[in-house]
Amino acid sequence: MRCAGAAPLLGSLPGELDPTEEALLRAHLSTCPSCQARQADLQALSGLLQEGLLVEAARRDLSGLADGVMARIPASAWRGAPAGPLGRLLSFLRRHRILAAASALAPALAALALYLYIGRTAGPGPAGLAVEVTSEDLAAIVLETSDGPVILVGESSEGT
Amino acid sequence: MAPTDIELVERARNGEPEAFRDLVVRHQRRVYAVALGIVKDRDLAWDVAQEVFVRVHQHLSECRDGAAFMTWLRRITARVAIDVLRKERPSRRNDVADVPEAVLREAAPGVLATALGTDPQETVLRRELSGRLTEALGQLPETHRAILVLREMDGLSYEELAERLSIPKGTVMSRLFHARKKMQVLLAGYAGIDAPGGGAP
Repeated sequence: MRCAGAAPLLGSLPGELDPTEEALLRAHLSTCPSCQARQADLQALSGLLQEGLLVEAARRDLSGLADGVMARIPASAWRGAPAGPLGRLLSFLRRHRILAAASALAPALAALALYLYIGRTAGPGPAGLAVEVTSEDLAAIVLETSDGPVILVGESSEGT
Repeated sequence: MAPTDIELVERARNGEPEAFRDLVVRHQRRVYAVALGIVKDRDLAWDVAQEVFVRVHQHLSECRDGAAFMTWLRRITARVAIDVLRKERPSRRNDVADVPEAVLREAAPGVLATALGTDPQETVLRRELSGRLTEALGQLPETHRAILVLREMDGLSYEELAERLSIPKGTVMSRLFHARKKMQVLLAGYAGIDAPGGGAP
C-alpha cells in the first residue's frame, strides 16, 4: 500500500475498516514515517473541532431559543393544560398521580372520620340518620341503621 | 436528581410544556453547535436549532427509550442543517467553494502534533486554535464542513455518514481525508507553522 491509499484510512474508528484494509494500513504504518506523522496530527487535533464549536455556541446567549421553540408549538399540543394557576395545578397532579388518586378517596375517609367522631361524642344517634360528604363527583354517605353504621360510596347525585 | 431525557420526553408527551422546555434547554447548546458547524451562519444555525426542536416535539410519540433519543436528536439535527444548507446554496454566493490553491499544499506531516505537544489538552496553542476553529471551518466547502462536523461532533461511522449524506462509503473516506487535510493546513497557518509543499506520494 502507498501513502495515497493509506492516508484516507487514517483516522478511522476502531473496527471500522475491514480486516484486509486494517492489515494493509498497519503494515504501511510500520514502515512509513510520513503516515505515522499524519496519524500523530490527527490524534493531536482530536476533539479540537468539538471544543471549538461548543465554545462558539457558549458565546451566544441561547436563553431565547427555547422561548422561540415553545411559541411555535400550538397550545393545543399541551393536552388539558390551560395556562395560569389551573394549568400548573393540573401539571402538578399529572406528576403526582398517587397523590391525585389518594385525594379521590378523601370523601370516604372524611365520612369515616365524621362517623367515628359522632359515635364517640354523641352516643348512638337516631336510626336512619344520614350524613353525606361529597367531593367533585364522588360522595360518601354514612347511614346509621338499626343494624349498625353503613358507609355508601358512589357518584354524587348533584346536578343530575 | 435531574430527570433523564426519557422522563422528560414522557412528561412532555403527557402534555407538560415545562418538561419539553427543560429538554430543549438541556440540548440546545450542542444542537446549535452542530448546526453552526454545518451552516456556518449564526442566525441560520439559530433557525436550524429551533426547527430541530419543533420537529422533535412533532414526533415525540416515536421516541421510546433514552439511548435512542440522542441518536434521534442528532439525526434530526443533521437532516435539518443539511436541508437548510441545500436550500440556501443558490443565494450564498460568498460561500468559498474551495480552499485557495496556495493553501491546499499540505502542511508538513507531524508539524501540528509536534507544535501541540504530547499533552494537547494543556497547550496555549490548542486553546488558540480552538478559538479560531469556526473561522477555519467557515473556509471549507459545505460538503467538507458537514462531513467533518458529523464525524467529529456525533462520532458517526463511515457507513452512517454514507447513509446520512447519501454518498458511497468510499466517497465518505476520501471526502473526510480532504476535509481534514484542508483543516490542518488552515490551522497550521493560524499557528504560524511553516507549511512546505508536499503530500501523499
